[in-house]
Amino acid sequence: MSDLKTLSQAVVKGNRKDSVEITKTLLAAGMKPLDIVEKGLVPGMAEVGEKFKNNQIFVPEMLIAARAMKEAMALLEPLLVQAGIKPKFTAVIGTVQGDLHDIGKNLVAMMWKGANFGVVDLGTNVSPDKFAAAVKEHNAQVVGLSALLTTTMPAMKTTIEALKKTGLSPVKVIIGGAPITQEFAKEIGADGYAPDAASAVDVARQLMAA
Amino acid sequence: MPIQGLTIIGESINDSVPSTKKLYEANDIAGLKELAKSQDEGGAGYIDVNVGSRTPEFLAEMVRQVQSVTAKPLSIDTPDPVMAEAALKAYDLSRAGGKIPALNSISPLRVQMFELKKIVPFKPILLVTERNENGTGKPNHTAEQTYDTAKQMIAEAKRHGIAVGDCIIDAGISPIGADSDDQFQRLIKSIRMIHDDPQFKGVHMSVGLSNFTVMLPPKRADGSPTKGPLESAFLTMAMPLGMDHVIGSVKRKYEILAPDHAAMQCLAHCLKLEGFDVIMRVQEYYA
Repeated sequence: MSDLKTLSQAVVKGNRKDSVEITKTLLAAGMKPLDIVEKGLVPGMAEVGEKFKNNQIFVPEMLIAARAMKEAMALLEPLLVQAGIKPKFTAVIGTVQGDLHDIGKNLVAMMWKGANFGVVDLGTNVSPDKFAAAVKEHNAQVVGLSALLTTTMPAMKTTIEALKKTGLSPVKVIIGGAPITQEFAKEIGADGYAPDAASAVDVARQLMAA
Repeated sequence: MPIQGLTIIGESINDSVPSTKKLYEANDIAGLKELAKSQDEGGAGYIDVNVGSRTPEFLAEMVRQVQSVTAKPLSIDTPDPVMAEAALKAYDLSRAGGKIPALNSISPLRVQMFELKKIVPFKPILLVTERNENGTGKPNHTAEQTYDTAKQMIAEAKRHGIAVGDCIIDAGISPIGADSDDQFQRLIKSIRMIHDDPQFKGVHMSVGLSNFTVMLPPKRADGSPTKGPLESAFLTMAMPLGMDHVIGSVKRKYEILAPDHAAMQCLAHCLKLEGFDVIMRVQEYYA
């Protein structure tokens, strides 16, 4: 088990060489890929999220850690697919129409991947219809909407309306971005509000458990 | 000592600044006026006024209120033509000693805002971070794209009778702590291209400088500040390339740094690095 701990720590420190090497060693020793993800990488990224929320680390460290996680995950993903193992949740994420900012959206996508969600990243300037189509196509349970501009906040509302119109199984919508508040989320009928990328994991998990 | 040749557009009256948002929400007009006054006294060349997504009438009223406490010209900060129109109508030119306001900003997607000069002439801040492709905005990823958009926008301004010397180009500054796709390089290269091109002679350039250092820790490992020196280092590099305005903070005390300053070395390295290595280098600077 200590090796899984070392793997978690390699992720926390953002040491991608170690995260890849340890993953290879664990695989060679016969450990199941899903165990490596869930007991090694996921706890590592959870610690990263915790430290970020507590201002012990900042965006650069988070990005560096996520890269170490991603490179280890790249070894594991094909094996998981081969074994027919799918992530428990699939999330669709994007920056809303009219908004080209992507840093916050990328951070949330990374943290969700780090929590072993399936993540479909639609990029920036995503129309309500495109969100709705992606939810349908990927059978997503969670949608993340990001906006940095006060002027593009209304596009969150139109996106939620478009999602409701499809009449698909109740997908949970989480919104976030610098100008976004809990009140605004409530006002436009979003299911959740994430003040930062680390919280986006907790909010999604809470909504899925509900 | 402020930097000679640098005009600061005071950024504080902005709905996206949390402490200012609180003033707006409490309708604390006295507090907002105080903020305008302190920026005037702190050396701002313009006072930016951004009310977020409130009404045109409210923006117009803010223009009058801010002008009641400062004789500095304002920077009308809204992408909405209707709001901009209301604000320009409210602007009192004589109160500002005849100095025309800045309009922050006109992008290729809203060139109709040039027409507003009929109300009162202004210096447009030309946002060239995105281009207009058949009516939709596409982000400019390269210096060449940014430069091309700048050329188009200058031509558009000219068509509306606005001289190059009254234009302020904003080529967009991205957070250096999350810069994994060479945005800093793109910015420096694009302002250099604009600076070196005689058809831009006399043009002004600006960026929203505080955006450069968001997401970074306030202090370096040795306890010294992280952000101020990086912003100063940026100016030290960009001013010789024609960056003569900045939307920023009068509290920051920008300064020209020596080449051996740690922040200067950091940015000099970042210019030579690519992708993720930029983030690693920035982290090395403060960690």
